[in-house]
Amino acid sequence: MHILLIEDDNDAASYVIKGLKESGHVVDRASDGEEGLYMALDSNFDVLVVDRMLPKLDGLNLIEKVRKEKTDIPILILSALGEVDERVKGLKYGADDYLAKPFSFSELLARLEALSRRNQPEASSSLLELGDLKLDLLSRKVEREGQVIDLQPREYKLLEFLLRRPNQVVTRTMLLEGVWEYHFDPQTNVIDVHISRLRSKIDKPFKGKQMLYTERGAGYALRYDE
Amino acid sequence: MNNPFNLASFRLIFIYTMLLSISVGLILTFLYFTSARDIEIEADQKIIKKVEDLNNVYLRYRGNGLISYIRRETSRPSLDIYRLYDANNNVLAGNVTEPNEIKVNDDGWIEFTYQINVNGEEEIYYGRGRDLVTPVENYRLLVGRVVNNEIKLKERFFYSSLWSIILIIFLGISGGYILSRNFLKRISDINITSKKIMDGNLSERLPTTKGKDELNQLSSNLNEMLDRLDSLMTNMKQVTDNIAHDLRTPLNRIRTNLEVTLMSNSDVDQYKKSIDDAIIETDNLIKTFNSILSISKVESGASDLDKSVININDLIMNLFDLYEPITDAKGIILNHDVDEEIKIEANNNLLSQAIANLIENSINYGSSNDAPAITIGAKKNKESVSLWVSDNGVGIQENDKKKVLERFVRLDSSRSLKGSGLGLNLVNSAAKFHNGSLKLLDAKPSGLIVLIEIPNS
Repeated sequence: MHILLIEDDNDAASYVIKGLKESGHVVDRASDGEEGLYMALDSNFDVLVVDRMLPKLDGLNLIEKVRKEKTDIPILILSALGEVDERVKGLKYGADDYLAKPFSFSELLARLEALSRRNQPEASSSLLELGDLKLDLLSRKVEREGQVIDLQPREYKLLEFLLRRPNQVVTRTMLLEGVWEYHFDPQTNVIDVHISRLRSKIDKPFKGKQMLYTERGAGYALRYDE
Repeated sequence: MNNPFNLASFRLIFIYTMLLSISVGLILTFLYFTSARDIEIEADQKIIKKVEDLNNVYLRYRGNGLISYIRRETSRPSLDIYRLYDANNNVLAGNVTEPNEIKVNDDGWIEFTYQINVNGEEEIYYGRGRDLVTPVENYRLLVGRVVNNEIKLKERFFYSSLWSIILIIFLGISGGYILSRNFLKRISDINITSKKIMDGNLSERLPTTKGKDELNQLSSNLNEMLDRLDSLMTNMKQVTDNIAHDLRTPLNRIRTNLEVTLMSNSDVDQYKKSIDDAIIETDNLIKTFNSILSISKVESGASDLDKSVININDLIMNLFDLYEPITDAKGIILNHDVDEEIKIEANNNLLSQAIANLIENSINYGSSNDAPAITIGAKKNKESVSLWVSDNGVGIQENDKKKVLERFVRLDSSRSLKGSGLGLNLVNSAAKFHNGSLKLLDAKPSGLIVLIEIPNS
């Protein structure tokens, strides 16, 4: 992925750049709003990462200007203002996702991956498929190896969320936001238990072919290895 | 110090005094015209009558008649003045000396002075009268009366009026000064005290007296405000101390961990473990920070946290759904207890977080029973909606109930467990944000019920 990072804090930027490069991405950096706007409009990036409080041009205004020219480029805001109302404001200005500082790097990475794939055309069929796991959106039927799996409504929703992001890391926060629509962090490991329940239905009965992986320190990923 | 003349109260009194003296002046003028002036007019009319009479005397008896009439009239003491001149200005008869300072008014009245020898001393008298000029002999007769008393009366009236007005102004202003100075004294006391408070002596209170006047009310209101501020400050200070402690402890752990790892000749695996530990600690720190921020945001009454009509049944079912697997895994029975459909205007995320905190509290601290059970419930009352989470654990001692609502307070029994001590505080803030209340009740036979009551509409 070709990423433009618009961030004025040199140290923070260098850590993020290092992390992103090690994860195999190409990163350009702008250190103020005007430079960021110029670069964003000048070349083609797969995703923009924008700090909100920037010198010369504020992050939100920058996004507004970028949106006028490039309607479909994914934009993620990084901001120290992390409350729900602030994130709503950010999304209103045209951002696609919002991550509050301090953030965990794996969270940023997972969200960037999700954003960049968002632009890939989604299968028009009503069938979500990964390996031998099939989910029919119309009949709400889930099958693996041709066997029907009986899922609770929430387990179904969780699986759907994961199947729409195959081979991607999905963080706990992303699941809470995407599946439960909660914007707070529970202090207990509620999500882990949901995942292990789902795993016991889609993985356990099918010995030797794990699909739902735990990504240490990051989250989960649904993968199918041939 | 302040000048009482600059005070609003003094200015008010001054204006009032001025208005009062103008009114008094008007009243006195009115009195003069209705009494003194009447007497004068009456006397004037008598003279006019006399002039007519004398004219008749002349028409019938000529000059001699006038002379004898005047002689007869002046033979006995009276206040009437006569002085008769012939055509050559010789005095023919009369009872006064030659008039001086003669002033003839437009309406024919003549004002003059004359002298009278009283016990060898010349005294000046005042007279007022009219001239009668005879047609044939061209005699001129001055008919008038002594107006000394009237003038004295007028003068006395004028001076007493003047003095009363001066007195009113003097008394008014000096009274105003004294009143203002007293008022000023109290204001200045308040000023001095507030200055002391400003300088940091927060225990100072404004002086109050027994009365119930506005100044006293103001002082007691300000005092109550100060009491409230004082308790908030104390609270805040405690919170700051707690924050310092609760954030320092994990920071210290992180630092020591990293430093010691760096010092020892560790292998890569040990480094990784140390860094992992540090990340976990910082994550907890971030969580604590976020909690503090959300609480502050909620408590500041941030209006940008919008409310909408939400379905309480959905809210509870979603939370039930989120927590059921984990309680199940821990052998806790999670129940929900909502019979009817309940709708309320609230912030969904905040209220969900509050209930989630309560459920987590019950999971962490309220599941010591052999058959632990947690219930999430809601009920519609007449004017409010009750939301509660109950468990059958050990509950909370009566004297701890108030304490646990404060920030960072963790009861000794739970210190060993992980947690920030902010959970219930956020629940309390969330209840207040929705204009509601939070109650901690004892469950029968054991356990805790945390009840949030939110007024309808």
